[in-house]
Amino acid sequence: MKRVLVANRGEIAVRIIRACREEGLQAVAVYSDADRHSLHVRMADEAVRLGPAPAAESYLHIERIIEAARRSGADAVHPGYGFLAERAEFAEAVEDAGLIFIGPPAAAIRAMGEKTEARRRMVAAGVPVVPGSTAVVAAAGEALEEARRIGFPILLKAAAGGGGKGMRRVNSEGELPAAFRQASSEAAKAFGDGSLYVEKLIEGPRHVEIQVFADRYGNTVHLGERECSIQRRHQKLIEESPSPAVNSELRARMGEAAVRAAQAVGYVNAGTVEFLLDREGRFYFLEMNTRIQVEHPVTELVYGVDLVREQLRVARGDRLSIPQGLSPRGHAIECRITAEDPFQGFLPATGLIAFLSVPSGPGVRWDGGFEAGSEIGLFYDSLLAKLVVWGENRSAAIRRMARALEELVVVGVPTSQPFHLRVMRDPGFASGQYDIEYMETTGMELLRRRPADSELDLAAVAAALAEEAERVKPQPGAAGQGDRRESVWLRAARLEGVQWFG
Amino acid sequence: MKYRVVLGDREVWVEIAPGGVRIDGRPVECGLERVPGTPLYLLRLGESLRPLVLTRDGRDWLVEWAGERLRARVDLGGLGGSGGGRVGSPGGGGIVRAPMPGLVLRVEVEVGQRVGAGSGLLVLEAMKMENEIRSPRDGVVRRVLVRAGQAVEKGAELVEIGEAVE
Repeated sequence: MKRVLVANRGEIAVRIIRACREEGLQAVAVYSDADRHSLHVRMADEAVRLGPAPAAESYLHIERIIEAARRSGADAVHPGYGFLAERAEFAEAVEDAGLIFIGPPAAAIRAMGEKTEARRRMVAAGVPVVPGSTAVVAAAGEALEEARRIGFPILLKAAAGGGGKGMRRVNSEGELPAAFRQASSEAAKAFGDGSLYVEKLIEGPRHVEIQVFADRYGNTVHLGERECSIQRRHQKLIEESPSPAVNSELRARMGEAAVRAAQAVGYVNAGTVEFLLDREGRFYFLEMNTRIQVEHPVTELVYGVDLVREQLRVARGDRLSIPQGLSPRGHAIECRITAEDPFQGFLPATGLIAFLSVPSGPGVRWDGGFEAGSEIGLFYDSLLAKLVVWGENRSAAIRRMARALEELVVVGVPTSQPFHLRVMRDPGFASGQYDIEYMETTGMELLRRRPADSELDLAAVAAALAEEAERVKPQPGAAGQGDRRESVWLRAARLEGVQWFG
Repeated sequence: MKYRVVLGDREVWVEIAPGGVRIDGRPVECGLERVPGTPLYLLRLGESLRPLVLTRDGRDWLVEWAGERLRARVDLGGLGGSGGGRVGSPGGGGIVRAPMPGLVLRVEVEVGQRVGAGSGLLVLEAMKMENEIRSPRDGVVRRVLVRAGQAVEKGAELVEIGEAVE
């Protein structure tokens, strides 16, 4: 294995290319027309065009990716997360082409990808699962029968995928038909399969997942948990490790269950077993993500490992270099910086990043895929970067994250930064007593808070002075001096800005 | 020049004259300068500087600093002029616009239907997510300007909400 094709874009493509560099491997990037000028394209040893911007014609197009690997002389393919990462047929196509797939065997992806099949296997392996249907429900009527059996509230979930797409909470019988229709159509669009299954809704749980890693020689280890309860519509926003709700005894039990889950499907390489953890400390298998996770850096920081480099080594045939029995050291937190406007219900935003100033300093890690000048479109997901910090304990990590968020400046596209900063300053978050309801309750409340009147006055003065400057020297968007040395793209950004917000 | 600045429900009068700046009549020693080559500004208050990001947004200014983003509507204090406040707060006018380009999946209301603030009007798909567009206020649906299956641009008129007549 000498040359790795990275079948992804954005921050994860950059992350994988970095790992390749550090392992002494060459990296081949792929890109759609929308990403021609992206960071990952310039960082790679070679970049191959896949096709037009729509994902179906580029990052989801299996034949074109295999062809790009062949043409560029790559001997391995890393899928990243999202796109084709959990498509068994992609893993097969890679191997059929004589290339190494940097991930689990296709059979393991398939076993975990079909959610009802996965539940059956977990039950057989002695891994606790949430009560619910062990098969796909064909229609709303069948879902209703199942719901009556286990009791409302229930969750409708897509059999073919995760990530919150095709998922609906249903509180009562009356809500079921509409929810079934919506979830099914969303699942069909996201995964090409509208099949749903029913699960009992556990009230007020935490979402806690276990990182596992296996090599080809039968060694499987776990690397503790990640707490991912701060989510909006099942999309994670903030993750931390360790979880404030998990002690070493519970960690050992959950870890052991996760290892059993991985072994039950013949798992190899990095994977994540997701659990719901209820208020009494009982945990239930949710699903297994058969790929590297977005939030893998928090595990890296507290366990002192490099999961992506380990992926490369294990795929090459090395034995695991991570022993079982490592303990987490200190505390890590990740905030997902997305191009979404938290003050408008996290609506996805588009535009040109006109200016970007990235936090740094002790204990701060920025895993980003974009820079000043990057155009953020609507073709792909809205993750711009992951801001990750390490601290000697949880409260130090929270203060460090607040400090890092205060340093971050993104101009041109609204981001989730204000939300994260409010969470870091929230005593409820600091207490560690939160669950997956946090976003809908505390999170929304935090976003409604407005600054003190004295702060509003300062904003008013600034706006009036900017308006005055514009009247005195009428230029679109300009206020004050210093425009002479402005670059072309900055000017373009301002002009664009008028249109995006207008 | 005397400006009226509206931020949400707060109205501030700012007078800018050669002699100095007054906020609601109080003199304030201040100024605004741009960090050369960037879209960053410094608001000077006496001898201290405070960093801000100011972005023109149509008729408004977006004022941002760590953790805050405020919409400021600046005018000369004439009649009319509404809006301002936190981005996303219900502004003036009864037209609900598309906050982003997308595809209208379903329209959930009909003309004449009474709606409450926050109730769903239609579902817009963007970035493979279904986003419910909600009514910014209580009222009655006057017009539905789009239909299911229609692709819309950002800012496109979707639904008009009028006053509920008792």
